[in-house]
Amino acid sequence: MNCTKPECQPHQPTTLGRKLSRGRPWVQAGFLGVWLAPLGEWLHGIPGCVFHCYSCPLSSFGCPIGILANYAALLPISAEVPYLLLGMLLVVGALTGSLACGWACPFGYVQDLLAKLPTRKFSPPVWMGYFRYVVLLALVLLLPFLFGRQGIHFEDQVLSICRVCPAGALEAGLPYSVRSLLAGDGWVMSWFKTGLLLVFLGAALFIHRPWCRLFCPLGGILALFNRFSLFHLRFNPRQCVECNLCRSRCLMGVHLDQRVNVTGCIRCLECAKCGALEPGFAWPKESGLASAKLGPPRSP
Amino acid sequence: MFQRVPQPPLNAALRDLEHHDFWGGFVVALIGLVLVFGGVRHLTGIETVEGGTATEMQLMKAYSFSGLEFPDQLPVPRPPEGNDLAALDRWMKQNAHPVAPAWKVRVDLGAKTACPT
Repeated sequence: MNCTKPECQPHQPTTLGRKLSRGRPWVQAGFLGVWLAPLGEWLHGIPGCVFHCYSCPLSSFGCPIGILANYAALLPISAEVPYLLLGMLLVVGALTGSLACGWACPFGYVQDLLAKLPTRKFSPPVWMGYFRYVVLLALVLLLPFLFGRQGIHFEDQVLSICRVCPAGALEAGLPYSVRSLLAGDGWVMSWFKTGLLLVFLGAALFIHRPWCRLFCPLGGILALFNRFSLFHLRFNPRQCVECNLCRSRCLMGVHLDQRVNVTGCIRCLECAKCGALEPGFAWPKESGLASAKLGPPRSP
Repeated sequence: MFQRVPQPPLNAALRDLEHHDFWGGFVVALIGLVLVFGGVRHLTGIETVEGGTATEMQLMKAYSFSGLEFPDQLPVPRPPEGNDLAALDRWMKQNAHPVAPAWKVRVDLGAKTACPT
């Protein structure tokens, strides 16, 4: 007679993660239509949830990091609190964590496409991801504030996140420079910023998402929510056959054999293809019942 | 290109299931929603060129369209042309001791220049 205990029942590998992961490039391409919508100029007053320059001629929503840096620069003159921006970050972060990085960010998509070229890939150490918070504190908050206190307006500041932003260089600096060049007025983007853009595009051939992994302040903010966001990845021990493919598939170098909902994860769901890690959404009925639902781990 | 990463074998039995509780994320999302609705209706302490008070969304739009005006960026009025000495004298008196405007920053709602940074 067969055992009727749940842990003894044969199980089918979950395919949700695999299906979702296959559709990711199409979702990323589809989101370009949201961020690059020339008719959406009126939306500039609303911060987006991805790293996308608001100076881009086709941009729709405002760049949350650019807005934050502007608020910091304005702080010595007018102490304004960006309620809308903070609220948007809290809502997006609490609902999905860094899902937007992996599925909606246009600059991440560009880096994903470059990474598809068959070159040897290098993986920087995980601890270097904390450099994103150095960028956030120094280039987004502190320097704009200090320059602003000296009476230097944000657009005149020689060093801020917007001065070194490769996404801004690609989406705004490049088209304006090409247009200016065609009109015979020369290259308008600074050579420093042009060089930075080339460095990051070149690095994307050898490191998967170098900007997101090492420098992106917005990714750093959203990743802080990964530990408690409603959308998350769960480990299902009954599905794990210890094939070690999850970590091998992770493009961001996360140590998936230890934890998956960490700050280095962009929720691309590549690791969910085998079924041991599965995407899930926290519901009130499930709270506190996870262990009971999943049952004990299967015997090795 | 896919490359298998060497790693120690997993111990599935000891690993955390990483199931997230609902209420933590829900409360943070709720706080965020309140801030979003508050932010949409929030009037900043910054005036507009037209005379009203800028909303938070207008301020953020001004960031992306170079719509912030500062007193030190105001253009000095050009001297009157021609030989009207009275007008020239009036212009000199007006600009000899220019009075600083009462505002420190204001928002130009009609600005359309892309941020130059």
